[in-house]
Formats: sequence, structure tokens, C-alpha cells
Amino acid sequence: MDFKGSDVWTEKYRPKKFSELVGQEEVVKRVSSLVGSMNIPHLLFAGPAGTGKSTLALIIVRELFGESWRDNHLELNASDERGIDVVRQKVKDFARTKAIGDVPFKVIFLDEADALTREAQQALRRTMENFTSTCRFILSCNYSSKIIDPIQSRCVVFRFKLLEKKDIRKVIDKIIQNEGLTITQDAFDVLYEFSEGDCRRVINLMQATASISPNISIDLVNTIISQAKPSDIKIVLDYALAGDFQNSRQKLLDIMLKESVSGQDVIKSIQKEIWNLPIDNDLKVRLTEKTGEAEFRLVEGSDEFIQLEALIASFVLAGGK
Amino acid sequence: MNFPDNIPWCEKHRALCFADIKGQDLAVDKINIFLKSFPRKRAAILHGPPGVGKTSLAYVIAAEIDAEILELNASDLRNKEKILQIIKPASEQRSLFKRSKIILVDEVDGISVKDRGGLSELLGIVEKTSFPVIITANDIWKPSFNLLRQRCELIQLKDVDYKVILDILKIICTKENCVVSNDVLTSISIKSRGDIRAAINDLQALSKLDEHSFVKEIGERNKEESIFNSLQYVFKNASLDTKMLGIFDNVDMNIDEIFLWVEENIPLEYRKEELAKAFDALSRADMFRGRIYTHQHWRFMVYEYFLLGPGIAASKKFNRAGWTSYKKPSRILKIWLNNQRVAKKKTICQKYAKHVHISTKRAMKDFLVLRIILKNNIIRKELKLNEEEIEYLDKQI
Repeated sequence: MDFKGSDVWTEKYRPKKFSELVGQEEVVKRVSSLVGSMNIPHLLFAGPAGTGKSTLALIIVRELFGESWRDNHLELNASDERGIDVVRQKVKDFARTKAIGDVPFKVIFLDEADALTREAQQALRRTMENFTSTCRFILSCNYSSKIIDPIQSRCVVFRFKLLEKKDIRKVIDKIIQNEGLTITQDAFDVLYEFSEGDCRRVINLMQATASISPNISIDLVNTIISQAKPSDIKIVLDYALAGDFQNSRQKLLDIMLKESVSGQDVIKSIQKEIWNLPIDNDLKVRLTEKTGEAEFRLVEGSDEFIQLEALIASFVLAGGK
Repeated sequence: MNFPDNIPWCEKHRALCFADIKGQDLAVDKINIFLKSFPRKRAAILHGPPGVGKTSLAYVIAAEIDAEILELNASDLRNKEKILQIIKPASEQRSLFKRSKIILVDEVDGISVKDRGGLSELLGIVEKTSFPVIITANDIWKPSFNLLRQRCELIQLKDVDYKVILDILKIICTKENCVVSNDVLTSISIKSRGDIRAAINDLQALSKLDEHSFVKEIGERNKEESIFNSLQYVFKNASLDTKMLGIFDNVDMNIDEIFLWVEENIPLEYRKEELAKAFDALSRADMFRGRIYTHQHWRFMVYEYFLLGPGIAASKKFNRAGWTSYKKPSRILKIWLNNQRVAKKKTICQKYAKHVHISTKRAMKDFLVLRIILKNNIIRKELKLNEEEIEYLDKQI
């Protein structure tokens, strides 16, 4: 994994110094002063996707360990590791040996820590305690509320903001300069709208677009976006409103499987789509409320698909009236 | 004959005479006519599903006319000497007292797949043979069998009725001295779908189980029946009696499986308002399931089961009549099939994810954009994608 040579732009343009990270000035200020003392506590980074959590973690280990950062750093992704036992074993193996260099500890970056269940987090907390003398943990998550209190209280919590348009513009300008591209203002606006402040998404879309032409126009961006958009959830709703539950759920499962979209994503698209449906306003309001309820249940429940089916069933009912 | 223990029962109890061939009277008649009129047609094809007794019938015929069976397989068909032996008017006028021969070419559909040439050799034999040829096949309607079909007498063996299989199993049980309840024998017979061999194999496997697993095995077989009954009760009855309260108590499935069965079948019974209500109950049941996982509060199971049974039953106001054929849950299978289909996508995403510090899940989600970026050969090399993965990517858009 050599960053220098990477042609994947999200890697190529990943900030390597504190000063290069955009949009998180407060966080960066405090973190860099912690790192300056060559001793950090456990850290918890909370914030939306594509706002710089992993990047900041990588910068920290580079600052701490310099050239030998790779040997002193373990990166794990909670949503990819099968169970807490695997995490624990990897942490154990990694923490067994002493850190190389001046810094007396190693750093473990556990990404998407909110993917761990509560029990797994309890186990993680024990692991963090056991290895505190040799290891520091940096955890990242989307919502800190999904991290159990005992872990939060052991960490210094940093909240990452959604990147503003001007921050994203900075990132894009750098790429444009470096790659010799042009981009029109309206093309940038569409890019930004579609990515919802997720910097990784913006860069990926840029690279996909630039692979067709270095002059990025709004038409080009729209073409790419239409290829990158998951299938329309609208057809699911159309079937439901027409009273055809079986086809509706069939279609929904197909879309979810083929495009690896999560239940949360589906709910989000449904919620947006409701306003475009040819139905009465009071029905729109009621269905939106139903959708909100479904989203709540989805978080609370254990089988996303059942919750979505229940939502579709209420669309069937609404359509019949 | 003394058989050692390890002989499969389906071999050990093969039919020995016409009387042993059960449920194939028409086929038996036809093959007798074929033999009497030989050499009007020189070969007969016994065709039918597996395990209905094609090979057995051939052996029985041989025994009845006191002929010796000469079995041919794919490699024999290329063996000149063996073929000559068959075709050569084998010392033409053999004494009537000497044993005759029947050539058996077993499972010819197996031959044609592996060895296309074998088929033409077989045709040669069928034209010139001086002994009756009996060919067995599962499916003779493949185009490659056109010529063969024209030259042979076609004799179809039918699926065997489960009652016939039941009788066969009972006879075997008596011979083997093994006691199996009638219910179990019946369920084996039905499950075999006309395949005698499968039924006998099942019976033998069952007889080897110790008592505990024997009971469990029977339990497996009863499982579906009891979920059907429970679903029927929930979906058809509107009144909440004590039976409804414990409706899933005796279903030998874990609750996650029951969820899937209920979920699959709600739309078969309920429409509109009832449908919405039923799914609402199911969704609430699922919330309690989620809470059990996160809080380890097992008492919530009470509500989980309540919503799943009475909760769903109460979605309707009145009892309903009629019989519904409930379906097996299909979602898990679909997920599995899809995983097979997108296996390449997954390995690509794993490589990419590791490279750019994100989770595989996230990469899968972003795949629609990534596939465009991954058209770049330098990046493909950078990620060390293999040929299959590249092929998969090239098929995109």
C-alpha cells in the first residue's frame, strides 16, 4: 500500500499533514496539540462519512512515528471483521510487541466502531483497558450515540462537521490544477449536491467524470451520476400504490441485493421520493410520518427487510384509498 | 445369498422376478413383447426418472429367460473385441439349451455426455447385434438420441406411487428385522417422489441412527408439517384462544425461521388493511427481537411470540375458510444466490477497500461509481486485480 504512487484520487489527494485537512479547523487544532506532546489519549472521532476521520487518524500516526508509521499502526474496520473475537485477537497479536522508536505506544485505528454490537463494545472496552500501557485506540463512528458510554468516557471525543461547499471547492481546485482539468460552476454545483458533503464521493465522481473528458461540464457530470445512481426506488412505490404488494417487495429485494444498498439508504430514497408522487398532500404527510416511523424501527429492530415490507404495506393501504 | 452388512440395501433387495417389479406392469408387458418379437427390433430403451427400477427390470428379464447379462459401459463401446463378440453371430446357431445373452447398456445419457463417439458405436451395435440390447436412460428426448430412438423400442417406466414404495419398504423392514413406525415409512415414501432407490437409501440411513438422532430425524420431517398447521391457525382464525397464545410453541424451529415463514406468507392471506396490520405486527415483533439482541433482555421474547402469533391473527376481524398452500421462505435463498452472483464484485471491493482505508461494505455501496474509475488499467494494476475480476469489470456498463 504505497500512497505516493496511487492513481486512485481519493488516495492520491488524501491530506498528509494537519494543515492540509479542510473544514475541521477546531478538531485539527486540538488534535495537533495533543500529538505535539508525543502522548495521546484514546480518541473517538464521530461524524458523517467523507469528512476526514480516517485521514486525520492516518496523519496522527505519521506525525507520531514518522517513517516507521506502518510498523506501529494497525488499521481495522469493525464492519469487515467477523466478530469481536477476531478484533480482539488481532489487537492482542499487534500489541504483544513493543513499539519501534521513541514513542512508547502503538496506535490502533478501529474504523466504523459503531458497527459493533453493544456486547462487542463491552468486550472492546476490556481490551482497551488491558492494553492501555502499550496501545492507544482511535475509534471512528458516524454517530457517537451508538458507542456505549464506558468507551466514550475513556476517549476524548471529537466531532467532525459536514464539509461546507467552500471546503469541497478547495479540494476540487487542487485536483483540477494538478490534473489539468476544467470544471464549470454548474457542474460543480451538481457534483456537490449529489455527494451531500461527502468528500470521498466528490473525488470519486470527479475521477469517474475526468476519465471521459478533462473538461468537466454539467452534461458530463449528469451522465456519470445517472450511471452511478442506484436504481429508482420509485418503481417499488409505484407497485405498492397500485396495490401489488408481491411485486413491490420482489423489486425492493432485487434492488437491495443487486446494488448492495442498505435499508437506511432505501428509507432515505423513499422519504425523498414521496414528494414527487402523484398523491394528495395530506397523504404525503402521513406517508412521510410512516417512513420516519419505519426508520426508527429499522434502527431498533433486527431485520431491515421486514421493516421495509411493513412500510410498503402501508403504501399499499394508502394507495387503495 | 449371504450379504455382508455393508452392501447397500437397494442392491441387496433388488427385484429378482417379475413379481418383485412393482408398479410397472405396462413396461413389463412391453419388454416381454419386445423379447418375443426379437429381432424385429434389436434394442429397447427403458427410460424414466431415477430409481424407478430400469436396471432392476433388465436384470429380472434376464433371470426370467435364463439369459446372461453382458453389461457395457462407455469404454467398452470403444473396445473392438468386445463389440465383435456381440455383433459376431455368436456361433450362430447356439443350442437352445445354452444360456442366451442380453446386452445391457446402462445409463446411456451418461455416456453421450462424456463420449460422443460412443453413441455411434452404440448405434452400430444396435444395427447388427445378435442378442437383444437393453438400454437404460433417464432422458431420451435429447436431440443427440434421435437416431437411437428410431431404431429402438421405447419402453417408459413411470414414477412409482408412494403406496407401492411404502409396501417395498415394509417388506425390507421385515427382512432386515428393523422396526420403523408406519408414519416414518410413509413420510419416507412420499419424500422420495417416486424414487425407490432413494427411499431405500433413506430407510437404511435411518436404521443406522441411534434412538436419539432417529427421533430428531423424524422431527425434521415433521417440522414443515407443524409450521404449516401453525400458519394455517394464525391466518385463518380471528379469535384469540389459548391455542393461539402458544401457537408456535410446538414448532420445532428457531424463532428467526418462523419470522421468515410468516413474512413470506402474509401476502398470500391478507390484503390491504389486513396486510398493513399484519406487517405492522411483524415489524413490532422484529423490534422486540432487536431489543433482545441489544439489551439481552430475554423476557421480550414473550412479546415477540405474542405479536408473531396472536398479533398477526388479530389483523383480521373474521375467521376465514379455505385452504392456502403456504410457501417456503425464499428470501434467504435469494440472498445466497445473489452472493454467488456478485462474488467477483466482492473480491474487487475487498481489494479496493483495503487500499483506500474504507470498509468493503462501503466500497460495495459505491461500486456504481467505482466501476467507472476501475476501467483505468493503471489502477487495475495498482489494486492487483486478477483476470476474472477484470473480466467482471469489463462486463459493467
